[in-house]
Amino acid sequence: MAQIDSFRKLTDVSWEIPTSYKQGMLVPAKLYATRKLLEGMDSGVIEQVTNVACLPGIVRQAYAMADAHWGYGFPIGGVAAFEPETGVISPGGIGFDVNCGMRLIRTNLRYSEVKPKVKELVDLMFKLVPAGVGVKGFLRVNEPQFDEIMTYGVKWCAENGQAWEDDPSHVEEGGFIKGAEPAKVSRQARSRGIDQLGTLGSGNHYLEIQVVDPARFFDAELGRHFGIVHPDQVLVMVHCGSRGFGHQVASDYLRVFDGAMKRYGFAVRDRELACAPFSSKEGKDYYGAMVCAANMAFTNRQIIVQQVRQAFSRVFHRDPESMDMHLIYDVCHNIAKVERHTYDGRSADLLVHRKGATRSFGPGHPDIPSPYRSIGQPVIIGGSMETGSYLLVGTQKAMEETFGSTAHGSGRTMSRTAAKRAVRGAELQQKMMERGIYVKAATMDGLAEEAGMAYKDISEVVATMDEAGISKKVVALRPVGNIKG
Amino acid sequence: MPYKFLPDVALADVAFEAKAGTVGGLFEACATAMSDTMVDLSTVEKRTTKRISLASPDLDRLLYDFLTELIIVKDVDSLLFCEFEVEVSPGGTSLEASVRGEAIDREKHVLRNDVKAVTMHMFGVKRDGPDWVATVVLDI
Repeated sequence: MAQIDSFRKLTDVSWEIPTSYKQGMLVPAKLYATRKLLEGMDSGVIEQVTNVACLPGIVRQAYAMADAHWGYGFPIGGVAAFEPETGVISPGGIGFDVNCGMRLIRTNLRYSEVKPKVKELVDLMFKLVPAGVGVKGFLRVNEPQFDEIMTYGVKWCAENGQAWEDDPSHVEEGGFIKGAEPAKVSRQARSRGIDQLGTLGSGNHYLEIQVVDPARFFDAELGRHFGIVHPDQVLVMVHCGSRGFGHQVASDYLRVFDGAMKRYGFAVRDRELACAPFSSKEGKDYYGAMVCAANMAFTNRQIIVQQVRQAFSRVFHRDPESMDMHLIYDVCHNIAKVERHTYDGRSADLLVHRKGATRSFGPGHPDIPSPYRSIGQPVIIGGSMETGSYLLVGTQKAMEETFGSTAHGSGRTMSRTAAKRAVRGAELQQKMMERGIYVKAATMDGLAEEAGMAYKDISEVVATMDEAGISKKVVALRPVGNIKG
Repeated sequence: MPYKFLPDVALADVAFEAKAGTVGGLFEACATAMSDTMVDLSTVEKRTTKRISLASPDLDRLLYDFLTELIIVKDVDSLLFCEFEVEVSPGGTSLEASVRGEAIDREKHVLRNDVKAVTMHMFGVKRDGPDWVATVVLDI
């Protein structure tokens, strides 16, 4: 990337782009990356993170994490906090898939027990968790129930037999974000979402059986806090979001904001960076609808986990409780929320946008469930279906530097077309099988598009965030069974 | 083919450019390209016809709304389409469409990527000599 010389190097893994870089920047931009990652970043990231730095009411810095890549409006891997009275809210700062996120559940099973059953498990989960184009879920709810789901998320699940007692407290925000306004959600969004609870979706979404990688069990003491104690323990990870419901909420309000920008006199640098004052009618309406989508996404992942527990129970002929299938945590990585932060010597409520970025609250934060409060919030970073994923914890440094935020995944480096040209789905499936990963995909083209080579090296992304001190590595998890949407 | 995919525009998503001699033809090409993203069109039969009427403030929004409507129908009614007939009003602010296809059948259809949404990135309709051209980026 040609511009690197004009950036200010802060450390080996952080860089600052000063406000002089672009006219209109209100704050500097900060990038977390090694020189190698920075050189490999597409130039769109720099254009976009500096556009974000121009948005009204932005506080301190606009951030791009080590996994940053070009997105719509904001870069994916982007974080920005806004002063609620003078600042803006932007659908482009959240993403079309509102509250896309990661969920990790543990088991007390060892890989030696699970290995002979992986195919059976994946095949059954593929039936119980519908994936791909236009699928509907098994959970049927009526309109009033769907309103409750929009409002209360996993709390609704707990009250309706769809969650274990300790599930809600192990989800970011306790399983639902306050401030949902179902009346601000369009009829079309409701129709798209009501039958999709418990569905995986498509694209890069997955459901994966994983095993602790003993060579990369970085902190056994932290692992114990999460109930991860064995070097070959089996876990299950879910990556998905609010499905058509959230996509429609985003589409509806992108259209509203596209018109509102001119009314509020905001310069339109990029139509996907459409925004409105958070305190305006449009801003409040979008927030109320977006929170509904976020709560639907928490519920969607919860229903999927219930199905996963059922699948394990049917395959191992044991109840899921006896297999200790507790939720370790559930994190959002496409969201905007009002959070209290201390910065520049004061404490204030801020609207924090995280798009392809994960909350990383440090030890002692009151929003972290009590079993983890002393060690920091679990941070779940998903890799490609070939390379594995990571569990980390949040840090005090993240609270001080990034409004408690870190990276979310590995980030694509290759187009879908190029990936399909490089490998055929069936061939990839066979190769993965030879490496001990049984994968079942809703589409063979989709499988090829998600090949590991199409993504950045997640280990380098995670190592960068660890070195920067804004999240701390606990354990790497390698895939052994995967369902691809 | 009245459309071509643009692999380098959006790494994680799908972009295409469509071209036609009439506005209606352009809308038909865009709808076909979007369906082509979701399913191998040769596996979809014309068993059901759905009529769509829409009005929007301008031609850009009309195309955005039309494609969004097809995404909604895919999720709500589980229908995918392979043939489109679109009549756009002379002012470019309303349309009448007749779209043909069938219910999604996972055994029969060779499915591809689900489309989440139509984005505003590079989105637009313009004249290019005698032709109408649209660029569309779909979020996958």
